[in-house]
Amino acid sequence: MKPLTVICGYLGSGKTTLINHILKSTSFPIGILVNDFGELNIDKYLIENEDELTISLTNGCVCCNLNDDLGDSLNFMLSQKVKAVILESSGVALPVKMSNYGTSWPGYKLSKLLTVVEGRTLKQLLSDKFVSKTVKSQIIQSDLIYINRYNDFDLELLSSMNPVYKKEEELDALLENIFIETDTVGEILPFVEEHNSLKTEVLLFDGPINQEDILNFLDANPGIERLKGWISDSENQSWLVQVTRSERDFTVSKYQTTSRLVVIYKKDLNKKILYK
Amino acid sequence: MIEIFKAKSVITVNPSLPRTEVIAVRDGRIIETGSLESLKPWLKNNEFTIHDDFEESIIVPGLIDPHLHPSMAAVLLPTYFITAMEWKFPWGLTKATTTPDSYDKALLEACSTPTHKDLFITWGHHELWHGPISRDRINALDSHTPIIVWNRSFHELCMNDAALEYLEIKEDDVKNSSQIDFVRGRFFETGLSFALQKLNPYILDQEIFTEGLRKLKEVVHFGGHTTIADMAVGLFDFENELNAQKLIYENENNPFRVELVAHATAMAGLSGGDHVKGEQLISSLNTHNSDHLRFDKRVKLFTDGAFFAQVAQLMEPGYIDGHEGEWLTIPEQFENIARIYWNKGYSIHVHVTGDLGLELAIDTLEKLQFEKPRFNHRFTLEHFGLSTPEQVHRLSKLGANVSANAYYVHELSNLYANHSVGYERASSMSRIGTCFRERVITSLHSDFTMAPAHPLTSMWVAVNRINEKGELMSPEERITPQQGLEAITINAARVLGLDHEIGSIRSGKKADFTVLSEDPLEVDPTAIKDINIEATVFEGRIFKI
Ligand SMILES: [Zn+2]
Ligand SMILES: [Zn+2]
Repeated sequence: MKPLTVICGYLGSGKTTLINHILKSTSFPIGILVNDFGELNIDKYLIENEDELTISLTNGCVCCNLNDDLGDSLNFMLSQKVKAVILESSGVALPVKMSNYGTSWPGYKLSKLLTVVEGRTLKQLLSDKFVSKTVKSQIIQSDLIYINRYNDFDLELLSSMNPVYKKEEELDALLENIFIETDTVGEILPFVEEHNSLKTEVLLFDGPINQEDILNFLDANPGIERLKGWISDSENQSWLVQVTRSERDFTVSKYQTTSRLVVIYKKDLNKKILYK
Repeated sequence: MIEIFKAKSVITVNPSLPRTEVIAVRDGRIIETGSLESLKPWLKNNEFTIHDDFEESIIVPGLIDPHLHPSMAAVLLPTYFITAMEWKFPWGLTKATTTPDSYDKALLEACSTPTHKDLFITWGHHELWHGPISRDRINALDSHTPIIVWNRSFHELCMNDAALEYLEIKEDDVKNSSQIDFVRGRFFETGLSFALQKLNPYILDQEIFTEGLRKLKEVVHFGGHTTIADMAVGLFDFENELNAQKLIYENENNPFRVELVAHATAMAGLSGGDHVKGEQLISSLNTHNSDHLRFDKRVKLFTDGAFFAQVAQLMEPGYIDGHEGEWLTIPEQFENIARIYWNKGYSIHVHVTGDLGLELAIDTLEKLQFEKPRFNHRFTLEHFGLSTPEQVHRLSKLGANVSANAYYVHELSNLYANHSVGYERASSMSRIGTCFRERVITSLHSDFTMAPAHPLTSMWVAVNRINEKGELMSPEERITPQQGLEAITINAARVLGLDHEIGSIRSGKKADFTVLSEDPLEVDPTAIKDINIEATVFEGRIFKI
């Protein structure tokens, strides 16, 4: 049985950042399922999964959607070599409900139920007219709470809900907990990278973008840590673009797509070159 | 050539000339309604014929259901209905089955004729009436035919031994699952998704699905409709749905038109998850338009979960048992998506079921009105399960329309009074009387298969508010028969932005009529749903029922 870890948390709480931490810190292949309601599909591109086993899903209720994307993807992951699967839930998913996939889907068992909260915005969310109950339930129903931006955080807020919580410094301990009690625990590497100052932006384009535009853009922006996405050039050829600090890679893509890029960068971003 | 339709009485739903006797039609359009006397100037120098088949009948404007789901219906109609409520179909009446014994009897009688290749699938089981279902109970009736019992709410199903074997569901694979009760053969929630995956090759089979759409065509005609709206194209698979509907409905013998409203999330899904691109895609869909199928600047959005499944989002004090509703769209994203379509001038149709889901839609509309004021924008609240009088007042001020599912009151008000939200809120679900008092344009829909695709039944519920137990629920929220008829004709046309073409009988409009044996404004209001529908006239052509 494959262990399934469920990660919940409202929009912007840092679920994707946490998943990237986990991916960097583990040495065995992990499958990622992103359930994002068909909203702007950024999370999928942000997840830096080298095995490329990230599947993005749309959400629906059975009475209006008989195709269960999530079920299909869980079955697909069973056929893959991944040792564990992480399910990144949509911002309003309830942990108890999502955990059902861990306890009910044949071939899986629930590993951990985790909610990410963001220190600066939690207080406001807990009094929001529409999502306060959802956010509170996300906290109460989880096995573990991971607190992003711990320094901005008022612990009093959680005291009434009595969760087991972890702050950023305790990430190593958290990682140990994530895959605990599974028969596939791999080696867990310590978390080293510092992510706090990184920003992310998604760039969408109407017209064609050529390789040289991207190269000029990179040269003008030494603060870019990573860039990933697709471009369609003036000859209507699509390319998959993958850029890290050490590599700039363009591969022909057979998918006809509109140009869109996810950029992870420090400080500022000068986009003028791309939007001339 | 002018064709004249003679009736005992014509109810025009045109306040300037409410009753007439004859309607003159040329090239599918009404040239005048009045009396043979008043028509003389038209007839003097033109050839004409008189249809007197309807001389003893009542003609009303062609009935409109502004919200149903052909693709969902196409999945459900091939199944065998055993239901606690009565359903009328062209191929016969599905009588109400209200006890466990009668349920078993009905199942036993029907199950020897499989519905899906070798499988027999029945829909409509409801524990409150039919008692708990289990593998053993079905086995005792028939252990050879693979039988699947699908719950009325869609959220659970149960299989006998033969079905488990046929679908190759083995105990070892599912015994650890918390939402599959293998011993009882029951699959719910995620367990249900697992079971549906096994069933999809049967229920979504091209041939069976197409047959389902053909059955829907019969159902729609039988219900007296001349216009329906598919209120979420893209529910399953946009291309397939559109192509299947073209195949069935783009035919000069189709007696109704289908107004298509695209599902925003599905369209964004086809555009890389981007709603701005999704809007561009919708704006290009009118290239598919034909006589019978039509896209327009309309879009479907969702706020909260399904009303039948008790996952509507409620304001305080919530559900009696304290469980929580669900969001189908993250609230702050709802606003962003709505803004894209608002600023482009769309009619936005929002699925809202609970009062908190409704509040999100109204708050959003208020913000958008402040940013970019619009008039006659047809922002429409669909379903309208729970609401407050104050919300109705606000949405009236903001110029919104309501398209209500009145059937909730009939099927769910007793159940929800006792088990879900309490009497006060349950009795005033589908608060339609207040909508009319607040001068909100209000239409009625079936959301078929959530309620029968039979507008006279929707009208009957809204006029009488009598639930399945026979109780009168919030008599103050009843509407008059006149208002009820408006809700399934002219108001439904307004909600779809078609009131200049259809929805009433007057000079210049399309010649769409529904022919009734009795007068819906004169009969005992409790008999409205039983009025015989004799025929429809679609753009001047008669289609007998
Ligand atoms: Zn639903
Ligand atoms: Zn609907």
